[in-house]
Amino acid sequence: MSRPVLQAEKLTKTVTSGERKLAILNQLSLSVAAGESVAILGKSGAGKSTLLGLLAGLDTPSDGELRLFGQPLSRLDEDGRAALRAGRVGFVFQNFQLLPTLSALENVLLPLELSPRAGEDHTAQAWLDKVGLGERVDHLPKQLSGGEQQRVAIARAFVTDPELVFADEPTGNLDPDTGAQIIDLLFTLNREAGTTLILVTHDHALARRCDRCLRLDQGQLLPLDPNTVGGGQ
Amino acid sequence: MSDVPWRLAARSLKRDLRSADVRALFVALVLAVAASTMIAFFLDRLERGLERQAGQMLGGDLVLEQRSPFSDELRNTLQAAGFALSDQVDLVSMISLGERFQPASLKAVDDAYPHYGVSYVDVGNGAEPFERGPLAGEAWVDPRLAQLIEIELGDRVQVGQTELTVSGIVEREADQSGGFGNFNPRLMLNTADLEATGLVQEGSRVEFELLAAGPPQALDQVQGLLAELRRAGVDVRDVRVDRPQLGNALQRADRYLGLAGLAAVLLAGVAVAMSARRYVERHLDTAALLRCFGASQQQLMVLFSLQLIGLALVASVIGALLGLAGQAILLRLLVSFLPMTLPPPGVTPLWLGILTALAVLVGFAGPTLLRIKRVSALKVLRRELDPLPPSAWLVAGVAASVFGGLLWLYSGSLPLAVALLLSGGVLLTVLWGVSALLLNGILHGVKKLAGVGEWSQALRLGARQLARRRQAGVGQLLAFSVTFFAMAMIVLVRGDLLSTWQSQLPDDTPNYFAINIQPAERDPFEQAVAPRVDTQSTLYPMVRGRITAINDQAPMEAVPEDARGDGSLRRELNLTWQAELPEGNQVVAGEWFTRQQSVPAEPQGWLNAVDATPQPDIVPISMEEELASRLGLSLNDTLTFSIGGDELTTRITSLRSLNWDSFKPNFFVIFPPGVLEQFGHSYITAFHLPDEEQGLIRQLVSDFPGVSLLNVDAILGQVRDVLAQVTRAIELVLMLVLLAGISVLYAALTASQPIRAHESGLLRVFGAGNRMISRIQGAEYALLGFTSGLMGAALAEVATAALYIYWLDLTPRLHITLWLALPFGGALLIGIIGHTLSRGLRRQAPAASLGLLGEA
Ligand SMILES: Nc1ncnc2c1ncn2[C@@H]1O[C@H](COP(=O)(O)OP(=O)(O)OP(=O)(O)O)[C@@H](O)[C@H]1O
Ligand SMILES: [Mg+2]
Repeated sequence: MSRPVLQAEKLTKTVTSGERKLAILNQLSLSVAAGESVAILGKSGAGKSTLLGLLAGLDTPSDGELRLFGQPLSRLDEDGRAALRAGRVGFVFQNFQLLPTLSALENVLLPLELSPRAGEDHTAQAWLDKVGLGERVDHLPKQLSGGEQQRVAIARAFVTDPELVFADEPTGNLDPDTGAQIIDLLFTLNREAGTTLILVTHDHALARRCDRCLRLDQGQLLPLDPNTVGGGQ
Repeated sequence: MSDVPWRLAARSLKRDLRSADVRALFVALVLAVAASTMIAFFLDRLERGLERQAGQMLGGDLVLEQRSPFSDELRNTLQAAGFALSDQVDLVSMISLGERFQPASLKAVDDAYPHYGVSYVDVGNGAEPFERGPLAGEAWVDPRLAQLIEIELGDRVQVGQTELTVSGIVEREADQSGGFGNFNPRLMLNTADLEATGLVQEGSRVEFELLAAGPPQALDQVQGLLAELRRAGVDVRDVRVDRPQLGNALQRADRYLGLAGLAAVLLAGVAVAMSARRYVERHLDTAALLRCFGASQQQLMVLFSLQLIGLALVASVIGALLGLAGQAILLRLLVSFLPMTLPPPGVTPLWLGILTALAVLVGFAGPTLLRIKRVSALKVLRRELDPLPPSAWLVAGVAASVFGGLLWLYSGSLPLAVALLLSGGVLLTVLWGVSALLLNGILHGVKKLAGVGEWSQALRLGARQLARRRQAGVGQLLAFSVTFFAMAMIVLVRGDLLSTWQSQLPDDTPNYFAINIQPAERDPFEQAVAPRVDTQSTLYPMVRGRITAINDQAPMEAVPEDARGDGSLRRELNLTWQAELPEGNQVVAGEWFTRQQSVPAEPQGWLNAVDATPQPDIVPISMEEELASRLGLSLNDTLTFSIGGDELTTRITSLRSLNWDSFKPNFFVIFPPGVLEQFGHSYITAFHLPDEEQGLIRQLVSDFPGVSLLNVDAILGQVRDVLAQVTRAIELVLMLVLLAGISVLYAALTASQPIRAHESGLLRVFGAGNRMISRIQGAEYALLGFTSGLMGAALAEVATAALYIYWLDLTPRLHITLWLALPFGGALLIGIIGHTLSRGLRRQAPAASLGLLGEA
């Protein structure tokens, strides 16, 4: 097995809301190898989005150590973590996070402009074609449906050819057919470019195709057998 | 990763141009630059125009005068420095035509005369412009001389030992060099004929003048030489220092324009601050996303700074072009007063404009922009994680320092800038407190409003909305107050400035001077004139005297080195006596003559002088302060005058300031009554003759042939013209400031649109109708407008009073209309702008304004 892309040890995240201390993540450990695809499942409010944010270095843990691409994140400041992400990490956010004043194409171009490949506008166009929105490039997010917006978000996550993609419920708003197309796309990439995938999902079809499934419960990650996922539920 | 995201910046800017806040920002910057460059361009050219005009009146940019011919060495030095030279010789001599004799003031000019301007000369076809003086063998005389000894064109007049042919009647000389020659009538001749007249001899009273025309650099280059010449007793007149007094009025206009420019910049600054705030809020999400994609803080700053700087550059170019066009319009308004060919506008104002735009941007938007830098990537996951807005102190502090810098740059005076800033800071702090209190008070009052009518309900709801946004409300209130304040101040100052000008040169300003009225003619002259004129100044007795000693030393040794050539030491001064301080004069040091001084108990007894250490036999005098300071004189210095062969020692017991623009007789030195009466004297007076009484002149000329009448209608008209045109220029600038003010209001209201949209959406969901919503919003705006108008009025009143006292030299007064006009006008103005802006909103379905569809 190759070196882990991501390695979390005893990750803890506690938040204080009012007087009460709430432990969302509790001494959680995880290691993800390059090229691997991992699905994280869990109840609403279990802390999946929080975990994803931590793993990507958007947030800092209350305790524990985290290495991204072999770099210990605790030694980096926010700028250092951002620099680490640039061009190498892609995101699909749960609530898409498309900029309302930018067209679909412009939204996809955004991370590209920040990477060494700035100017390769055709790449962005190609990605929109891949997610089936080649004809909608000039539309603003508010002119697109929820599912279409989600596809733009996916195109945006992949446009820089990242090594690692975090996706928070990438098929949450899609009908089964489109969802299946997107899932195919994700795993083709995973296979061809060796992109590591870390997905949060409620979609069992998606989870089953991952190399590994984990369940977030009580602030801990528990392994699940992909083949049994959704079987009984 | 590329370090400077040029493309991204360019693209974002292009997209941003669609949004209201960026447009408001843009318009504000354009206005700031347009106002400042227009005024800078204009003042720059006006300054140069005035200098040229002064040069014309002086006869050159540099005029040297002494009793002997100038050396070739001096000529060579001046020519090497870049001056063109013209020689002139002035003397007084008797001229005759047949049996008729008349002393005349002779002015001999060479072929280079005049450096600037033209003379109007009648050579037989009425007055025509001439760009030269009389040719060799010719003489030009003024109408007075022609009348006195009945000269016709073509007559040959005797000048010294030669005869010259009178070829022209000079209606107006190109310059005013050579002086009025003791009020003798003028005869101009060519320097080529001077030798033949035999008038220039050892010991004769001849003034040699060297008129030099050249660029400012040439003047700079010879300053050392000029100081040396002054020490050697040469009268040196430098156009930049000795400019004729069109004076106070223009200087005030100049300051007013500067002030208006700054007001426009300040207003634009406020608009920039308001729109920057909205701009930043709108871009926080973008910034957070970019952080996720790996942008560093620095990159974010570069990205947004690039966009804003790009915006500022485009705005400053457009602004500068508008400024250039604006100054062309201003100049058009002033064209009849400025010389025909003005130097083209320089590039300095352009740089100044760009600098202004960038400074305004950095100063008023900088701290707010820093907020973007502090955005955390986590905001993408957790929306509420907005970085705190910068502290109001930081924002105000940075803006104030930048504005102070601009003040300094424009006014050239650091103490003034610091003083204005400090007082502004204090005022603003007080204002912040007061506005919070005032807002509370008004909101409280409105809440208590009983009525159940629709309007009082709207007012209550509007007040509640305003109260809910207390913090933002106070910010807006402050912005509006400053806006109203700046606008009101510019309007107020303009009004007071114009009325001061009006009162300075009222319709009955004297248009005639009568000089050389003999004591015996005094009463008959008075009786002839008094019933037919509107106003008449006192008849001042006039005695001519020369300063022969200062503090018992030769004048040349007693005065500062650079005053050795001063005209007052070289020529006779006009002295007068008065018991009362003449109208328009003010004693600035010492005391005016007391009774004992003016009515001596015994001849030559001055024992009761004001001074504690009485000095017998010394006459007290009152001196004009500028002359005193030029000659380095102060109270108690003694001056000895030679009057009609007698010597008279005097002591300065008071210094006076006087208004040289008043068109009334003014005197450098005034004696108390009882001293000068013994000497030969004549009287001088000034009066305003209405148009319908012009016949009086004919009568005076025949009844009092010895009296000289000088008509100053032309000069008066010129001054009035200048004032009228400057007034129009001021009005144009005023419009610009008002425009800037409105842009602030627009920017501020745009900035608060989204919150309001959300609120009115909610209200609608809860069932409020269109009318209700529009009333609630109208009420909210009107309350805001009323309160800020009230505060703006207070600010403007205080600030104008300070300005008048310290800067513009006007008398402060209370402006009652202001206290009514601003609050109600403010309520109306803000109500209307707000209403118009939010009309679109009210039409929106609640789903749209609440962001229920698609991405909010
Ligand atoms: N800073 C915070 N302060 C208080 N509570 C927090 C904070 N961050 C997260 N939480 C809480 O932690 C819990 C986990 O949130 P998270 O968004 O990670 O859940 P999730 O598993 O992604 O849920 P869903 O499936 O609904 O998206 C929630 O109850 C949330 O309210
Ligand atoms: Mg979630």
